[in-house]
Amino acid sequence: MSEIAISSEDFGKFREFFYRQTGIHFDESKRYFVDKRLAERIELSGAETFRSYFSMLRFQSSGEELQTLTNLMTVNETYFLREDYQFKCLVASMLPEITARKRPGSLVRIWSVPSSSGEEPYSIALYLLELWPEIARWDVEIISSDIDTSILAKARAGRYSARSVQHVPAELLHKHFTALPGGEYQLSDELRQCVEFTRVNLAEPMDTRAYRNFDVVFCRNLLIYFDDLSRRKAAEVLFDALNPGGFICLGHSESMSRITSLFRVRKFPEAIVYQKPETP
Amino acid sequence: MGFVKRTPAAPGADDQRQRPRDCAGLAQSLDDPDPAVRRWAARDLAACPDSSALLAARLAGEPERAVRQAMLLTLTELADVAAVQGLAACLRSEDVALRNDAIEAMKNLPRALPTVMADLLADDDADVRIFAVNILEALRHPEVESWLLRVIGRDPHVNVCATAVDLLGEVGSERATEALHGLKLRFPDQPYIHFAADLALRRIQGEGA
Amino acid sequence: MNPARRILVVDDAATVRLYHRQVLERAGLAVEEAINGIEALEKALNAPFDLYLVDINMPKQDGYDFLRELRASPLAQAPAIMISTEAEEHDRRRAFEAGANHYLLKPIRPAELLACCHLLLGLGSAT
Repeated sequence: MSEIAISSEDFGKFREFFYRQTGIHFDESKRYFVDKRLAERIELSGAETFRSYFSMLRFQSSGEELQTLTNLMTVNETYFLREDYQFKCLVASMLPEITARKRPGSLVRIWSVPSSSGEEPYSIALYLLELWPEIARWDVEIISSDIDTSILAKARAGRYSARSVQHVPAELLHKHFTALPGGEYQLSDELRQCVEFTRVNLAEPMDTRAYRNFDVVFCRNLLIYFDDLSRRKAAEVLFDALNPGGFICLGHSESMSRITSLFRVRKFPEAIVYQKPETP
Repeated sequence: MGFVKRTPAAPGADDQRQRPRDCAGLAQSLDDPDPAVRRWAARDLAACPDSSALLAARLAGEPERAVRQAMLLTLTELADVAAVQGLAACLRSEDVALRNDAIEAMKNLPRALPTVMADLLADDDADVRIFAVNILEALRHPEVESWLLRVIGRDPHVNVCATAVDLLGEVGSERATEALHGLKLRFPDQPYIHFAADLALRRIQGEGA
Repeated sequence: MNPARRILVVDDAATVRLYHRQVLERAGLAVEEAINGIEALEKALNAPFDLYLVDINMPKQDGYDFLRELRASPLAQAPAIMISTEAEEHDRRRAFEAGANHYLLKPIRPAELLACCHLLLGLGSAT
């Protein structure tokens, strides 16, 4: 089967649509990257021309093709301390604001969703333990959720590849992980105890009703793969899950501009995050 | 101090849904002085098929944007004729945020839209026609291109035509070529119209080239 | 040579953004884009612009709301031109109340846009 050539006009059309949907902008230097993946999807979808593929992509009610394409266009590897500038922001900026409002001895609650294989919630625990001076003064509850029970089992087990821990500083790796014979690393029981894993489907109201009174939510690199309506509904769930004044962090290439107006943009030195308004 | 774990998903400190969750109770809760109560009511009304008209009527008077968002989401889920009519009425509002939120909500109702679209495109108010063309972006309907061509063929208002040309750049076909040339002739002194029409023509003709 | 002044074009219509981009780039100005007030605020907070060109009707956060937030932020002094399809007197007033320095009606003519930008950027008259 011959490869479909993507013309300059086609690229422009696609690029505008994709930017509108996701906020991700492809400049000319990304032509090869984009064209290759587009051509692949056009062929796989059975469309004969870019035009017919684009029409399907644009109007498909399930939004499945756009999700598949978004997946192809984005890097979605998970590993420890991924996008750690947000964890820096957590300890340096978000938590100070949050704890200033709290009675001493009350609970700080953090929700990380999706948990995937646990790298994110464990990274949060690790960061708080090692780099938050106030950890001794506050009780912290970290809950992490995913729709997939087998990945939750993996997360609870806490066993990781060398690749997954490559960004963990050597002394912390040594302190909190045990190197295993096969080249993998086992996370310490101490850190594993820091996170409660639960099964949740964000799209299922019954699942999420009880998720409330959180101070910080991490929802990174999930909503970008949802269609418009599902994204909005998920955002409503996350909004309701937060305390007034609570914060939510998205993935580095994600933005509330494509999701909802419910949150306020907050700029901290380390990161831009979003905040639930303080007075309801 | 340090990390704690409790048994699964700690319940919220207070459950804000006090009144009975039947549809009549929920409707009453829409008048509650507490915006959190109103918000939950608006969300839960998604389970009450006849609530569209009520929700639509409450939209304009609701001061809290978060409550309004919940109402709009529910209207989007109910997606019936009353919902789309109620949303269409918001297009005339002077409240810019409400108008734009309603436009967005309508874009999520592709099946219900055709019932109101023809009227909106023929509205006396040019602004309403602009919003209607804007909403067309979400419709996969065989009539869409025809509607757009009719707009650029006849609408006297330059900004209504401009909005239509923008959309033709994305969804236009060979059918639009003649009408696009005609549009340029209709507005010889409008550089934006020429720019947008030329872009649409290039997009239509330049495929696979 | 001074670095080019940076302008943020805020409009949900891609063709409109492209049109303004071309006009402004030809005049040696650097242009970035945002599709609504939320994205505009994020970009501005990350790297403040010399001038904002702001549409009114956009999803999720409209131009008035964005201007109000801009004026309440550390970026309060930045010049902003509001652009709109709406010609009523009360729309102009609302724009100025929200913090616009100037108000232009769509569709915008290149010369008028440039003159207005140059004025607000303090670049003297455009030739």
